[in-house]
Amino acid sequence: MNQRSPVLAFLRHGALALMCIIAIIPLYWMVISSLKNDSEIFTDSFFPNAPTFSNYTYAFSQMPIVRMIFNSFAISIMMTFLQLATSLLAAYALVRWRFRGKGLIFSVLSLTWLIPFQAIMIPNYVLVNDLGLNDSMLGIVLPFCVSTFAILSLYQSFQAFPSVLIEAACIDGMNDWDILMRLIIPNIKSGIASLGIISFINAWNEYLWPMLITKKMEHSPIQIGLKLFVNSDTNMWGSLMSATTVSCLPILLIYLLLRRHIVDSFIRFGIK
Amino acid sequence: MSQTFENSYAPPLKGSPAIARKRLNKAKLWRRIKPFVYLAPAIILLSVWMYKPLITTFYLAFHKWNMVPGTEKKFVGFENFDKLFHNPAFMDSIGNTVFYTVGLLPFSILIPLVLAVVTNNMNGKMKNFYRGIFFIPMILAPVSVSAIWRWLFHPSNGVVNHIMLKLNWIDQPIAFFSDANFAKWIILLITGWKMIGFSVIMFSAALTSISREYYEAAAIDGASSMRQFVNVTVPLMSPMIMFMLMMSILFSSQWTFAYIDILTTGGPYGTSTNIYYEMYRYAFSNLNAGFSSAAALVFFFLFGAIALLMNAASRKLSFYDN
Repeated sequence: MNQRSPVLAFLRHGALALMCIIAIIPLYWMVISSLKNDSEIFTDSFFPNAPTFSNYTYAFSQMPIVRMIFNSFAISIMMTFLQLATSLLAAYALVRWRFRGKGLIFSVLSLTWLIPFQAIMIPNYVLVNDLGLNDSMLGIVLPFCVSTFAILSLYQSFQAFPSVLIEAACIDGMNDWDILMRLIIPNIKSGIASLGIISFINAWNEYLWPMLITKKMEHSPIQIGLKLFVNSDTNMWGSLMSATTVSCLPILLIYLLLRRHIVDSFIRFGIK
Repeated sequence: MSQTFENSYAPPLKGSPAIARKRLNKAKLWRRIKPFVYLAPAIILLSVWMYKPLITTFYLAFHKWNMVPGTEKKFVGFENFDKLFHNPAFMDSIGNTVFYTVGLLPFSILIPLVLAVVTNNMNGKMKNFYRGIFFIPMILAPVSVSAIWRWLFHPSNGVVNHIMLKLNWIDQPIAFFSDANFAKWIILLITGWKMIGFSVIMFSAALTSISREYYEAAAIDGASSMRQFVNVTVPLMSPMIMFMLMMSILFSSQWTFAYIDILTTGGPYGTSTNIYYEMYRYAFSNLNAGFSSAAALVFFFLFGAIALLMNAASRKLSFYDN
């Protein structure tokens, strides 16, 4: 096999290194731009001569960044928690019992894949408005507190759980609720955690719906606040890049800490 | 099961038979509705936030409504659909949607497939390092990504223009986002850049399940690594390739949405818009809910048909290693 040829190996690593550079250079440029001072920001030096945090202080003074990051965390955590809760219950029912209408329920679940959000945004917008939840976090969370993707992924994890154990617990007189809470969930914790991470990242990155719902910066997640800043057409690129850096930071930190876990869970569950 | 069987055929006991039967029925009823109690939160939420809105969209597609609460929805029959297909801007947006869908395929299938195969032969550490880096764009938020690319490709101060000017590739800086020749290519590039890492990971996962023996056998038969790729890897990966193909076709228009909205708002002159962005604009800029719903309906059925066809095709074409 010609895989051992050093020239080929060199070429291969060269090509891969190039791909890596393409993948992360925008991020690198974001970080160094955020650290450049006003006289340097419009030059293309790849390293800031006099790194400064003045862009960050300016961005924090212009936008309620702390508040928006807090909103993003609150919204993402609520969505993740509700999605996990509803899908744990639903997946449990689907694995545990045979009942009439199960096939119908599966088709109802899988058909949602074909419904793009743009096809249901008007009625949902009207409904949230009627409930008086416009411009509120609850309004952002509500349409996303169930995820068929989460239900079907958990269904797969549940199926891998040995049914003998469930039968044994049944004979021991454990009731259905306890079987779910005290037997199944503790044993597939890592699968649930992986799914939780994906839900969190998806919620953090959600765009269209929060954009429709939020009006004021104080009530918006960081993504929407950032969008308002991008579109305000200021030439404050240094502070825009520092705000962008701040908006990426939580996700990047989570990724650095849990890289193996995240990559594995994306493989296992795919994306929505 | 056996318990209910016995009970229902047991002769009624003396004492309080009525209560016993009642309790029995209750237990039976409970057993029947128990699964639905657990399913209820999910099903109710899905009905309220997905299926009922979908039905409302059906309804709105045949009405004229300006989305102002309390105003009348006027029935107009097929007028919305008729106008839609005689609207040149909408037809253009269909063309762009096809452009994005086809243009994304190299980024979602071809490049990732090659990258996954190349990294697959490396030792564990290198492999994880490369794949870990490829994956980073995937997890970033569309808004953050748009902000960064907007700065990179800024017409007067962006680093891309600076470098190209320095290298004498261009005489004047290019206004990437407001030049009809570049706008949609930039959007495609960003979407593709974000997509590669995810596909690499998915293909890598599929690759690890291919047995090494096939490659050893092929090597003994004298197959070059190119032939091994075409004749061993691709057929054995076909289920995953079909899956990614389907995802890419069904969702590419949704993935480009945020970049279109933030970077070009569909312009210049609608050259970078796509159907989902048009639906959004009909509804929230032109306040024409009926028009937007009619477009949504057309594409709901179109993409549904594509999904069904692809599903059938993947069952036929996929090659499974038994």
